[in-house]
Amino acid sequence: MKMMKTTFKWYLFLVIALVMLLTPQFITNVYYQHIINLVGIYTLITIGLNILSGYTGQVSMGHAGYYAIGTYVSSLLMLNLHMPFWLSVLIAVVAVAICGLVVGIPAMKLSGPYLVLATVGFGEIVRLVILNWTPVTKGAAGLTGIPLPRLFGLQITGEKDFFYLIFFVVLIGCYIAQRIARSKIGRTYMAIREDELAAEAMGVPVNTYKISAFVISAIYAGIAGCLFGAYSGVASPDNFTFDDSVGFLCMSVVGGNNTIIGALIGSFVLTILSELLRVFQSLRLILYGLILIMTVIYMPKGLAGFIEPVRKWMAIHMKKSTLIQD
Amino acid sequence: MFGLRKSISLLLILVIVLGSLLTIGGCSSQNSQKVLRIGVVGPESGGSAQLGQAQRKAVQLAVDEINASKAAGDWKLEAYFEDDEGNPTKSASATNKLIQQYKVNVLIASINSSATLADMVVTSRVGIPQITAGSTGASITAQGNEWIFRTAVNDEFQADALVKYARDVMGIKKIATFTASDDYGQSGAKLLASAAKKYSVDLVSEQTYNNGDKDFKPQLLSIKSSGAQGIFMWGLYTEAALISKQARQLGINAQLFGASGMASMKLIELGGDATQDMILTQSFLADSSEEQVKQFVDKYKAKYHENPIPHAAQAYDTVYIIANAVKVANSNKPEDLRNAIRKTQGLNLVTGSPKFNEKGDDIGKRLLITKIKGDKFVLVDTVFTGQ
Amino acid sequence: MWLVPFMVVMKGTSEYPLLFPLLFQWLRDVVKLQYFLNGLPIGSIYALVALSYSLIYAASGVLNWSQGDIVMLGAFIGFTIINVIKLGFTTGLLISMIVLALVGLLIQIAILQPLRNRQAPPINVVIATLGVAILIRNVALVIWGADAQNSPSPVSTKPIYLGSLSITPQDILILMAGIALMVILQFLLKRSKEGKALRAVAQDRYAAILMGIDTNRSDGVAFAASASLGAAAGMLVAPIFFVTFNMGALIGLKGFVAAVIGGLGNIPGAIAGGFFLGIIESMAGGQISSGYRDAITYALLILVLWLKPAGLFLRKTRQKV
Repeated sequence: MKMMKTTFKWYLFLVIALVMLLTPQFITNVYYQHIINLVGIYTLITIGLNILSGYTGQVSMGHAGYYAIGTYVSSLLMLNLHMPFWLSVLIAVVAVAICGLVVGIPAMKLSGPYLVLATVGFGEIVRLVILNWTPVTKGAAGLTGIPLPRLFGLQITGEKDFFYLIFFVVLIGCYIAQRIARSKIGRTYMAIREDELAAEAMGVPVNTYKISAFVISAIYAGIAGCLFGAYSGVASPDNFTFDDSVGFLCMSVVGGNNTIIGALIGSFVLTILSELLRVFQSLRLILYGLILIMTVIYMPKGLAGFIEPVRKWMAIHMKKSTLIQD
Repeated sequence: MFGLRKSISLLLILVIVLGSLLTIGGCSSQNSQKVLRIGVVGPESGGSAQLGQAQRKAVQLAVDEINASKAAGDWKLEAYFEDDEGNPTKSASATNKLIQQYKVNVLIASINSSATLADMVVTSRVGIPQITAGSTGASITAQGNEWIFRTAVNDEFQADALVKYARDVMGIKKIATFTASDDYGQSGAKLLASAAKKYSVDLVSEQTYNNGDKDFKPQLLSIKSSGAQGIFMWGLYTEAALISKQARQLGINAQLFGASGMASMKLIELGGDATQDMILTQSFLADSSEEQVKQFVDKYKAKYHENPIPHAAQAYDTVYIIANAVKVANSNKPEDLRNAIRKTQGLNLVTGSPKFNEKGDDIGKRLLITKIKGDKFVLVDTVFTGQ
Repeated sequence: MWLVPFMVVMKGTSEYPLLFPLLFQWLRDVVKLQYFLNGLPIGSIYALVALSYSLIYAASGVLNWSQGDIVMLGAFIGFTIINVIKLGFTTGLLISMIVLALVGLLIQIAILQPLRNRQAPPINVVIATLGVAILIRNVALVIWGADAQNSPSPVSTKPIYLGSLSITPQDILILMAGIALMVILQFLLKRSKEGKALRAVAQDRYAAILMGIDTNRSDGVAFAASASLGAAAGMLVAPIFFVTFNMGALIGLKGFVAAVIGGLGNIPGAIAGGFFLGIIESMAGGQISSGYRDAITYALLILVLWLKPAGLFLRKTRQKV
């Protein structure tokens, strides 16, 4: 068994490397590369949301706020202090983690609609501060000319380079989320989601864990923000509205919010969907709304719920004993 | 759970799906006929939908006309439209799609300044000329980007003209600004403040509002207590109409001024009596006696059964500028088109005789100072941008 | 004098005897009194929307995010009836309320009932109602277009002066109509059979089922009543704010904030929360920076939620386990 696992990992590594190398070669259309890059950035945010909602049962409708802080902190540091990209990301992560703490502390007491409102409020506060704090954030005009990142002596330009960068970060993000989910922390999160009182009775410091989930989730969105700023080259408050927060939450739920793969599926499907629906012109958003409603009614576990039976089938036929988890 | 393996399989699916999409959508026909493809991006839904919808109507009208009258020589124009909902990320995606998928040669994009800026990153990376018919934000043409042109009216010129008119004609010495906190309003506030300094008028109160606000009474009350004789608004017509109404309800009798962004018949319709005698600058007056304007309004009305808004006129002119450029350059290569647009001259269009400066701003625009009388705008003065 | 109906409405909420002397002390300044006065009509609208949130939440535990767009739809239907079919304001109000009651019922039957039957997690319900909001908003965009529409006011908008204070008859109408609707709702909840069933379900859903109450029916009643309250709010707000297809987002959010301040599911609390928010906003906008006004409102809200997690006006914090 153990040996099998290691071989499996090697196989995985090969596949990943292959896909990474080949994808931009295969997909040369810059428009598709652009969409894939966006999907990657959204995947990071959605993974963060899934850790929050899928694992601890908390909901955030203000993740555009963390996303915005990540973008603005890293971009401003690069623009004004000419910091290298990695350093600005590091500082942005610290800033975002602090904000996650600030929201997480009042949020630990809240649940349901009250929690939703607190997070909505946070997202709006961030947007309004960016909008009105003109001397620093340039207000509604937004930031322009955000420099392209330079990493390990490599200058990143164009959609293709960004694909590699974003893919790499998403992969690490998936891996860390996976580790968190499988660790003691992840199991504690799930215990809190299932029954908070019982967990507390068992001596779990529920509040600390809830806050930590907020911080981790915020960091994911913050890193996505750093990537977005560098990738798009411009940023303005219009990128970080309540509608965007809602969009991220939809990705999380439509994909399935208690798995990591759900985050990937959700951000992929909804991003592609809104691009594909462009054909329908003015009916586009009507269809989008309908699809959203149908998905949550008829696929309560999200699209990732479809994978479950396939996986079981595979597990039975391949005689794998990895079914215990989840 | 072994999400890592699942992620991989999903990525593979992703590659396959996108590959198939590529084969379906990627093969746009490369016709031998001389075709110029124009991409149009604008907010057709979302908060500024009326501007995006008017832009689409006007561009379609102009393209049909030009193709019928052979105004672009042998070149046939084709327009492709995308909706960006006023969101910069979606706007950049839409621009990318138009360039990659439909192989557009020139882009009319977008209306919200933040969206236009996001589009500019895309067009300058690829090297496609982009004209915005609606964004007025100062930062757009201040970046040394050689691919961007603007046919929207210059805001600095409007602010100067308004403040000068207020001082010289109305004898106003104390003014207040009341502007939207979006890019349009913020740059307007800045320009009004410097215009006030230039013409030595006292700026006694500077108020702002967030788009979508409905209650402006708090700000109006502080303007009232500041004793301003003129209130300068910079924003869109819905808010401007509400502000006018609420100002009158609070018994404020100061003269109202507004910029072209709110100059729409809707302003009068919504604001009613409260907007009477308001002074606005605009680039286009639907009931003007000028031949060009009359023709445009008649055609627009015949096709869409409504009066064109100024933005429609600007978008309409933009298509004519493009048609002229392709005719002169006799090529749809980006560089040739860009150079031809830059050298635009001798056209007599609805909103003026376009001429671009080195930054890409149209300096051939006509600026009309108008007053609301009854249910229409009455022309009180005309100024030219070039002077 | 004009505070009397306000006090009547506030009756039953706990903290107001404490708040009122403070308020009167503060309101001696005329400018502040004007801000206070301006906050009342908008507060009445917020109260109606907050009520429509609370009604559904109390009855079925659902947070309905499409409430704001229901307000918009009500306003547009009213606008069409008054301006295109040329019927009077009262007829328009009634028809709009009836149509929206049907829409509310449809949302409950077509979307929320299946979700409940499938025991979907609450977050799915949130997304479903967000989907409804997107749907309604864009259907309205297709039908009525992107332009703002002006709905003529049934009464004068010329201000009446009381010393240096001013208020328009229209504001008074909004305030009165809002209060009248709230009183009617209270009456129906207390006296009618459906109202009693609804209150029973709100108190204890399972006990109510055991007592033979049809919860699907009471959910339907809650959605219909809530949607027609929203329609009324839309009709009342239309003449002063105009009708646009995207007006729902803001008004919905503000109504939600008001409902939470009052404690979701608490009917008198929602009314108090609505007026409270309207007045606070008007004061904050005048006294503090207008750009940061909403940011300050939200920051205060998060603080309040932290200190009193179940809303300002709820007497006891009760956790449903």
